[in-house]
Amino acid sequence: MPAETRMPECNPFVEIATALFLEDLATKVGVPGLNNYLVSLAKNLGTAMPKEEYASWPEFLGALVSGQSILATFEDVQPVTEHCMTTARSPFDRAWREYAKRVGSFAPVHKEVADYFNAKARPTAVTSVHIVLHTFRETAAARIHVGGKGVRYETLATAWVDGTVMMPPEDRLDPLLARAGISHTKLGMLLRNHADVWILEPA
Amino acid sequence: MLDVALASLIEDMIEKAGADGVVEFWQRVGDALASRMGKEAYLGWTSFNVAVREGRTAFSIEGDVTPLTDMAITDVDGDVVGYLYAMKQCCYVPTIFRTRYAVGRMSPADAVVMEEYNANVHNIAVCNFCVFHERFREEIAKNVTVSGNPLVSYLLATRGWSGETKISLKNVAMVNINEEHVRALLRNYECVYALVMRGARLKGGR
Repeated sequence: MPAETRMPECNPFVEIATALFLEDLATKVGVPGLNNYLVSLAKNLGTAMPKEEYASWPEFLGALVSGQSILATFEDVQPVTEHCMTTARSPFDRAWREYAKRVGSFAPVHKEVADYFNAKARPTAVTSVHIVLHTFRETAAARIHVGGKGVRYETLATAWVDGTVMMPPEDRLDPLLARAGISHTKLGMLLRNHADVWILEPA
Repeated sequence: MLDVALASLIEDMIEKAGADGVVEFWQRVGDALASRMGKEAYLGWTSFNVAVREGRTAFSIEGDVTPLTDMAITDVDGDVVGYLYAMKQCCYVPTIFRTRYAVGRMSPADAVVMEEYNANVHNIAVCNFCVFHERFREEIAKNVTVSGNPLVSYLLATRGWSGETKISLKNVAMVNINEEHVRALLRNYECVYALVMRGARLKGGR
């Protein structure tokens, strides 16, 4: 893709400010309230994007890899099977590193809200930003049609910058691995140097 | 991604707390971030300006800041008590373009917050992020000392992504800088501010 058509990089200061904004919000509305805000903003972001349609699954995968699909807006998506997608670097890596460098360690509320989300929704968030990322992917996937069918999103595993991994418990993981078309060992291999492993399949 | 999602958050917040509530939120966030930046001390303006140029000060978190060392601010005795500083690119401009290319358009919530701030606080904002930004700088300036004197920050001029410019007449008068000089700086910079020793007796100051 030519350089001028790629998404410009943001100034990490804006992301740091947004993280602080969320921390301040949590002092007002508590952890459940912050969770609701994060889910809501991710849904708003996803639904603000235009719908997409593709004639076939290979065409859709091509749009993901080339960054043309809304699902590839914030991350470089690489499929490892027809339905198993990987993201090498989290879209939040840079902001987290800047936050750690300039401000200090991430405020505990980011982990607390992730724990709340894991208990209430799906056990896949290491920190607050994953609530945004997973909810956005789910909302965006629902706006895509491939061969006339909808697309369903599911998170398989998330690895944070510090190496913390979050994935569903064993009994829920095995069916997901089968849907993704990868083994437990392959998942471990991917998580060594990827930020996210996720599933896209026809709804 | 969080930066693009911010526009959706602001939309939500306006619904729940109103535009004035979002302005208050942003200002509190400016205070909170500044309070986590720590204190800094410099022997004099030369060492401070070198630190700014090398990105070592709390002001550098915003991005590349250029000390305009040819534009000194003097007090009533003619002593240098401050300088102008400028950013070639507003921190928020990349986010505006990212939002444009991610969603298709910038959220109108950005302008709602900006207009609220301009009408009721300080007519200098060209985007919603200016609200946070101005307060953040004002607060970190208090924690930075030059020759033992804490600083004060005056936001002088801004240029938005679509070319609109704002000049703070009250702050320009405060630091006794010619408005046309500031306007000329906006050809090359998107955000211009002054850092001055707190309590300095400025020629145009009140």
